[in-house]
Amino acid sequence: MNIEPTELEKAVLLKVTGRMDAENAHEFEQACQGWITHGAKHLIADLDGLQYVSSMGLRCFLSVAQKLQASSGSLILCGLHGLPRQVFEMTRLIGLFPVFETTQQAISTLG
Amino acid sequence: MDPPLKRLTLPASAGSIAALSEFVREGAAAAGVDTHEFGKLELVLEEILINVARYAYTPETGAVEVAYTPAGPHKIRIEIADFGRVFNPLEADPPNLSRGLADRPIGGLGVFLVRSMVDSIDYRREQNRNVLSFVFP
Repeated sequence: MNIEPTELEKAVLLKVTGRMDAENAHEFEQACQGWITHGAKHLIADLDGLQYVSSMGLRCFLSVAQKLQASSGSLILCGLHGLPRQVFEMTRLIGLFPVFETTQQAISTLG
Repeated sequence: MDPPLKRLTLPASAGSIAALSEFVREGAAAAGVDTHEFGKLELVLEEILINVARYAYTPETGAVEVAYTPAGPHKIRIEIADFGRVFNPLEADPPNLSRGLADRPIGGLGVFLVRSMVDSIDYRREQNRNVLSFVFP
């Protein structure tokens, strides 16, 4: 898994590519936590290049979103497709996140 | 179960995810399982492996033994066994999927996904082993 961050005006964009499994999911959570500590209110996860996510990854998405929500922020998901999308749908986690097709759409909702 | 085609023993830890799925993918391909289902197959294997490591063994460590055999057209029967304490993942309460973000519990999704993705899954305690047997897909 690779995580490539870009600081935007009102959010931090994290482009996540590859596989997120029990061995590396904590790297995503740590990266998010780092940006939250740094003052980020909104995180946008671009998941277009994410091929695989297991329950350990889902836990990390959930945990980061809960932290951000507690401080009136959000974890926004973009580009979900294939197996990761199926997994978010089966667990009904998809309804708990703002979800957009593209990062541009996500960025525009932040005004 | 008929004599399995193949059997492999690995350490029950996250480090075995790749080797486990590579081994079973080979059998799934030979059994004619649709390659589009391979992502789900890997997920099922990972969830079971991680549960064994966490609940059957921790704080000890141990091994998992995986075996497979074809199970009808385009299907494979897989058995995953460990030598840890008695642990039946199928007894876990189903997660509440209707809670909102703030109070959605973080655990329980792994077993839920496994149950959703496999056919006729069974647990048995056999001598000193936990054995989980299922057909995929």
